[in-house]
Amino acid sequence: MILDTLVSDATAFAARTGWDAKPQGLCRGEVCVPAPSSLLADGRVDVQIAAERLGMPLVHDEGHGVWALGPATGGRALSSAVAADPVLQTRDGDSFQLSSLRGRRLIMIAWASW
Amino acid sequence: MWQALHAELEPLGITVVTVAMDTVVDMATPWIDLAEPTHPSLIDTAHVTGDLFGFMNVPMAVWIDEHGTIVRPAELASLEARVLREVPEGTPERIVQMMAEVNKLPDVGAAYRAAVLDWAEHGTASRYALSPDEVVARSQPANADRARAAACFELGQHLLHTVGPDAAVPWWREAHRLFPENFTYKRQAWTLVTTPDGAEAPDLIQGPNDVYEGNWLDDVRAVGGGARYYPASDLL
Repeated sequence: MILDTLVSDATAFAARTGWDAKPQGLCRGEVCVPAPSSLLADGRVDVQIAAERLGMPLVHDEGHGVWALGPATGGRALSSAVAADPVLQTRDGDSFQLSSLRGRRLIMIAWASW
Repeated sequence: MWQALHAELEPLGITVVTVAMDTVVDMATPWIDLAEPTHPSLIDTAHVTGDLFGFMNVPMAVWIDEHGTIVRPAELASLEARVLREVPEGTPERIVQMMAEVNKLPDVGAAYRAAVLDWAEHGTASRYALSPDEVVARSQPANADRARAAACFELGQHLLHTVGPDAAVPWWREAHRLFPENFTYKRQAWTLVTTPDGAEAPDLIQGPNDVYEGNWLDDVRAVGGGARYYPASDLL
């Protein structure tokens, strides 16, 4: 997740990381990690606290003033079988999320031109 | 190939979704247009699906049920039987060596297709549809280095677009160092420096270059050769 400040909109944080900031903690599916101070009073997420609680690396390019937040390090690539729902783009540049297909079974195939 | 699968599965309640892990959108769109897909055909410029689902090479796929639950984690996905490719006489030695590794790739085509059709017919009762605990346990290993590599790769692609290639290179080199088995990071980076300007198609040889330490042939050999190029499939 690319950040130019270490405070994030909670919806964007959830879409990109798969972790929802809730009063009881940072949750993905039925898994919740206590993180009482990561959800700010204005509903946004303190990314530094969330990163620390979830074991997410936060790398910083000082020269360009930008951070990248990596995935949680829980031993496996998936911490839950609940599918993440990132915002991707269609061939024509429109936004698309897998949740728009809820109710159908999906096979999501990664490919590339290279 | 994926469009044909979608046409076959759509009446059975399964939608194929393709995701091009291409940092440069214009490199993916000609292939999408050629396929004339009727299924969602997406582009993931930041490779976010890599760390969210565990894709570390292509083609790989996940299965997701109607409730949004993954029932098979990221694995090699192929529908075609591997054909041993003859190398014409006079082929440059490096390409001969590459083809020798390509000919060792796992041949999962028949097994993968059989599994897909079984899931289409039997749904959650399919022996290929895993429980949530099995999905997590069988997903790709993760550790601090791999997580950091994902952040470095995403930062690099962001800087590629906002600043330029020179700003991306140090972060991508670091991603390669931290997660040497991840070929989406490497192939993406290599092709951008080895494809000549104005070329109609990306360079797939991805040979030695003076920007990155690795290259396709040497790095495939370093992980154990073509047979180890993808994570081991439990369908075989």
